[in-house]
Amino acid sequence: MAAEVAARESPNRPMVPITYYLLLAAALFCMGMFGVLVRRNALVVFMCVELMLNAANLTFLAFARMRGDAVGHVSAFFVIAVAAAEAAIGLAIVIAVFRSRGSVLVEDIRTMKH
Amino acid sequence: MTLPSLSLADFFPLLPAILMVVGACILLLSEVFLSATSSRAYQAVLTVVTSVAAGAVAVAMMFEPPREVMLGFGVLDPFSSFLTFVVSVCVGLAALSSVGFLRNRGAERGEFYALMLFASAGMSLLAMSNELITLFVNIEVLSIATYALTAYLRRGTRPSEAGFKYFILGAFSSAVLLYGAALLYGATGTTNLSAMVGPLGGAMQAQPALVYTGVVLVGAGFAFKIAAVPFHMWTPDVYEGAPSPVSALMSAGVKAAAFAAMVRVFFTLGQGIDPRLPLALFSALAFLTMVGGNLLAIPQRNVKRMLAYSSIAHAGYLLLGVAALFVTAPGEQFRLLGPSELTGGSPLDLARAGALRGILYYLLAYTFSAVGAFAMVSALERREDEEKGTAWDLERFSGLAQRRPGWAFAMAAFMLSLGGIPPTIGFMSKLLIFQSAVDAGLIGLTIVAVLSSAAGVYYYLRVVVYMFMRPVPEGAQVLERNWGTELALVVSTAAVVVLGIIPGPITAWLEQAGTLFGR
Repeated sequence: MAAEVAARESPNRPMVPITYYLLLAAALFCMGMFGVLVRRNALVVFMCVELMLNAANLTFLAFARMRGDAVGHVSAFFVIAVAAAEAAIGLAIVIAVFRSRGSVLVEDIRTMKH
Repeated sequence: MTLPSLSLADFFPLLPAILMVVGACILLLSEVFLSATSSRAYQAVLTVVTSVAAGAVAVAMMFEPPREVMLGFGVLDPFSSFLTFVVSVCVGLAALSSVGFLRNRGAERGEFYALMLFASAGMSLLAMSNELITLFVNIEVLSIATYALTAYLRRGTRPSEAGFKYFILGAFSSAVLLYGAALLYGATGTTNLSAMVGPLGGAMQAQPALVYTGVVLVGAGFAFKIAAVPFHMWTPDVYEGAPSPVSALMSAGVKAAAFAAMVRVFFTLGQGIDPRLPLALFSALAFLTMVGGNLLAIPQRNVKRMLAYSSIAHAGYLLLGVAALFVTAPGEQFRLLGPSELTGGSPLDLARAGALRGILYYLLAYTFSAVGAFAMVSALERREDEEKGTAWDLERFSGLAQRRPGWAFAMAAFMLSLGGIPPTIGFMSKLLIFQSAVDAGLIGLTIVAVLSSAAGVYYYLRVVVYMFMRPVPEGAQVLERNWGTELALVVSTAAVVVLGIIPGPITAWLEQAGTLFGR
């Protein structure tokens, strides 16, 4: 087991540079943000929010890996747990919206005037 | 692997939050044994008793020495205890005003009060958080409970619409804040705010872009939570669609907790980065929020919506105080305010200490005035009119002074307080913030604040004019009295008037509460 870990961690093995992970996370975050602003379906909007949370997770993990620090790994677990709770309440609200108006399109959800 | 050893005494600083969670669990469990027709009057009483107990513990904690608690994940300082007190006041009054509201709608359930208490436990812990992940988890604890409360009423299209909008923008802002926190973690290698101060200076030299992006994202996340312009779009719809007691909880409690966390985070960041960045950020937000909130409130005939815009404007005045915290003399290193600066430092230190006290006093003042005003709105609205959107029209207030002089007097006191007219608590708190902003040298911004609050007086006084100078409309509804609402009105009116005339007890207290941990 220890040998396996050592082999995996050995400097000879080619590794994906941390920067790539950070760039991927930044791209995911921007896609999520863009999606929240432009998508019409409430469920897709909700998925985009989840994408943003996971981009943050990936950033935490990449930095934790870079620094050999456990805090980032633990943080990711907390975020996953919170995201699950958020998904439960979010889906319940989407169902409530669907029951009251038979649609989950964002442009239909505007009874209140500005 | 060693587990940290915590004794029972180590949990003492969390006592207010623990009391709230225990109260919420009792409410949830006892609900199981009730039938549909059982009396549920005890639920509001239990909520109020819990919040009074939590508030009393928080008051006692104000005199504890500031220190790190729970292995450095939280801090206990007079600042956090004062915020816990404000939150307890807010949830107690909101619970009182829910009694009649829920009974009218046949929606009395233990979950409602339990969610309120869970949310307030989150707020109390948020004010104590000293670590970015703890902060994020507590923001989510309070947000998830308030999302559910917003969409609590199942009848009609408004509550679910408000819940949806609040949920999407709330989750979005949490994600932005979390991503900013991840970048700050990457730059400094720690998520603990106290530990972050050291490496932040070095990180600024090595990766300024990373730090600045992190700071701006964290700032934007908080700006959503406190409903600062231009991050305020969700506020009017959510406050209008949510049950009125929940709007009260959101406008006062959630805002107070978010301000506390924001001040704490930026106090830490300000020591590593150039303090002119938070100063510029908060000055710009304060300007936009004060002017935008007041201008948008002026055309509103819907009183509940007007209160939502007014809550945005009040966030602007608070941001002016926050901006004053970050004023430094040229070449001066930003530092926290120690006990010596609080009582006798340089003029600038005194101004910043005054601003911190002003923010705390303002949060208390706003809690009493806004929760009272929302309680009044909930006493006058009728379920049948909600779908038509006329439940909150100014006409509702016509001739109120002849029908219920006590209610009209209370509402007048809240409106004068929100407008900042003496002798009310709202005037005193505005005075404290504006004065310290002038002392800190933010004169232009203070002039904008005074002018925009003068414009705000127009829409507050319009409600008073309707109550006292308009005749009672034909076929006006019967005004039902309810002990909960009336008790909430009496308590908030008494606080608004008495603390406006004799602010001494609270300001003496605030000498303490300006103390933040970390010097």
